[in-house]
Amino acid sequence: MRAGLDIPLAVAAAFVVGALAMWASGYDPAASYRSMLLTPLMDHVYLFSALAFSAPIVLTGLTFAVGLRAGLFNIGAEGQVYMGALGAVLAAYLVKGWAALPLALLAGISLAVAWAVVPALLKSLRGVNEVVSTIMMNWIAYWLSIMAVSTVFANPLQPEESVKTPPEARLTPLVPGTDLTLAVPIAYAVAALVYVFLKYSVWGFRISVSGQNPLAAKSYGISPGRAIFYAFAVGAAVAGLAGVLQVVARPPSYSLARNLANVYGLGFDGITAAMLGRGHPLGVVLAGIFLGILQEGARHMQIEAGTPFEFVRIIQGVIILFLAVRILRT
Amino acid sequence: MTDLALLLLYQALFASVPILLASLGEILTERSGVVNIGLEGLMLLGAFFGPLTADFLKYRLGLSLPDPLWPLVALLASALVGAVVGALHGYISTYLAGDQIISGIAINLFGAGAVAYGIQSYWGVAGYKQVPDFVKTDPTAIAAFALALAAFMWFLLFKTRLGIVIRACGEDPEAAFNMGVDVDKVRLFATIAGAVLAALAGAYLSIAYLSVVTKEVSAGRGFIALANVVFANWNPALAVAGAFIFGFFDSLSYWLQTLGVARYELTRIIPYVATLLIVAGAIGRARPPRAVGKAFRKE
Repeated sequence: MRAGLDIPLAVAAAFVVGALAMWASGYDPAASYRSMLLTPLMDHVYLFSALAFSAPIVLTGLTFAVGLRAGLFNIGAEGQVYMGALGAVLAAYLVKGWAALPLALLAGISLAVAWAVVPALLKSLRGVNEVVSTIMMNWIAYWLSIMAVSTVFANPLQPEESVKTPPEARLTPLVPGTDLTLAVPIAYAVAALVYVFLKYSVWGFRISVSGQNPLAAKSYGISPGRAIFYAFAVGAAVAGLAGVLQVVARPPSYSLARNLANVYGLGFDGITAAMLGRGHPLGVVLAGIFLGILQEGARHMQIEAGTPFEFVRIIQGVIILFLAVRILRT
Repeated sequence: MTDLALLLLYQALFASVPILLASLGEILTERSGVVNIGLEGLMLLGAFFGPLTADFLKYRLGLSLPDPLWPLVALLASALVGAVVGALHGYISTYLAGDQIISGIAINLFGAGAVAYGIQSYWGVAGYKQVPDFVKTDPTAIAAFALALAAFMWFLLFKTRLGIVIRACGEDPEAAFNMGVDVDKVRLFATIAGAVLAALAGAYLSIAYLSVVTKEVSAGRGFIALANVVFANWNPALAVAGAFIFGFFDSLSYWLQTLGVARYELTRIIPYVATLLIVAGAIGRARPPRAVGKAFRKE
C-alpha cells in the first residue's frame, strides 16, 4: 500500500497546500494550475520545452540518487552544475570550431568531479558531514562562476552572457523552432547507464552495500571510504554533464548567463526528482519529466495567471516534506 | 591601527549574531536527539515573514502602534513562523519517525521557494526588497540577547534538571524513557525552540543587520551554523567563540572588498573556505549526542 500510494498522495497534498498559498497571496489557483499543468501539453513546442527542462533535472536527480545509494546526502549537484557550465564556457573561450564540444565535456566534467573531491575526502578522511561541505562548495562555485562570467569569459557584445559556444560545437534543436536538442536523449541514456552501473557493476554493488551497512561492507573487504569516493565522483560527473549541456545545448544563447540563470537551482530540482523517483534511475527520469512540465508550465502560469514561477519550488518543498515521513530506501 | 582592529572585532561581533542564534537553537535541538538541517530555510522564512507581517499590519490593515513596537512585532511574527515549521519538523522527526535529513532539505527548499515567491507576490519585485524604515532596529539589543542566551543555554543544559532530561533524550532515550521521561515530547519542544531561534536569526538579518530581504539573504549562514555546532562540540559556550570566528571571516570579506584588495566575488568566498577548513580541523575531537537523528521507538 505504502509503496504504491505515497508519491501520488504527496504530490496531491502539495498541490492542495500550493492552492492555499496562492489563494492567500491573491492569485487564482484554478487558473494557475490550468496554465501550469495543461498548457505544456497543448502544443509540441511547449512539450519539447518541458522535455528540455527535464534533461538537466534528470541528471542532477541521478547525482542525488547515487549519493543516497551510498548513504550520502550529496547536495553538491548545484555547484557541480556551475563548474560543468564553467568548463563548457572555458572550452568556448579557448577553442573555435567543433573541437570545443569534446573539450567542453572534458573540462566541464573534470571541473565538476574536482569539486566533489573536497567533500568526498573530508567525508572519508575526516568524517565531515557532506551536507555542510557540499553547500560550502556550492557557494564557492557560485561566486567563482559569477566572477569568471563577468571577467575573463565576458561576452563583449552581450553583457548579460558569457562567450558563446562556437556554432560548429553546438547541439542544435532536433526539431527546428523548438528547444528539443540531443541533450534530452543523452540525459535519459545516462540514466539507463547509471542504472546498469548501480545494478551490474562491481563498484555499483559496493556502493549499495556500504550505503546500507558500512560495517558489513568492511567485513566483505569493501572500503566504505572508497565507495563514498566513487559515489561522489559518479554523481559529480553526471551533474557536470548537466552543466555542460546547459551551455552547449541550450538555444538560443549557447552560453552561461551572467546571473547564472540557466544553471541556477538545477541541483535542488534534482533532489526533488530523486525523491519522487524513489532514488531509482528510471524513476528519476519520470520524475524529471514531471518536474520539467512543472517548470515549463510555471512560465505559462506567470504570463497567463500572474502567479510567480517561484511557486514551483514551494510545491517541491512540500512534496519532499510529505515524502520525508516515509522514505523508501532500496 | 588599534582603532581599526577594534572596529573589525566590533563588526565581527555583529556578523556572528545570526550564526550564534541559529547554532544555539540547533545545539538544543540536537542535544535532545533531533537534527534539523533546515536552518537555512528557517532563516529565510524568518527574514521574510517578520518585515512582511509588520508591513501588512501597518499598511494593509491600517494598524497603528507606537514606533518602537514595530520591530518587536516583526520579531514575534518570525518567531511564530519558526515555531510552526519547527513543530512540523519536530512532529515528523518524533511521532511519525520520518527521515530528519530529508525533512530538513524540504524546509530549505520550501523556504527558498516561499521567500522568492513571497517577495514577488507581495512587493511585486523580483528577489530583492529594502526593509521599510519603521521595522528596522538597532542590532545591539539582539546581539546582547544572543550572548545572554548562550550563557542561559549553557546553564540550562549543564546545570539544571531539565538540561539533564534533554541531554538524556539525545544520549540514551531508552534510559530516559525508563525514568518516565516523555522522549518525543521533549524532542518536539526542543525542535520548536531551535527553529524559533533560527527564524529569529533570519529576522536579525533583515531588520537589524542588512536591512534588506532577498531570496538569498541567509547566504549559507544556516549551514555555517550547522558547522559551528560541530566546532562547538554541542556546547553553547564554545558556540560563542565559534560564531565569532565565523563572523570574523564574514566581516573580513567585506573589509577586503572595501579596501579593494581583491574583486568582491573572491572575497565573498572567504567565509565558506574558512568554514570548510575549521570544520575539517575540529571534527576529530567533536562527539555528537549518541542518539541524534534517530527517532525513538519504544519496544
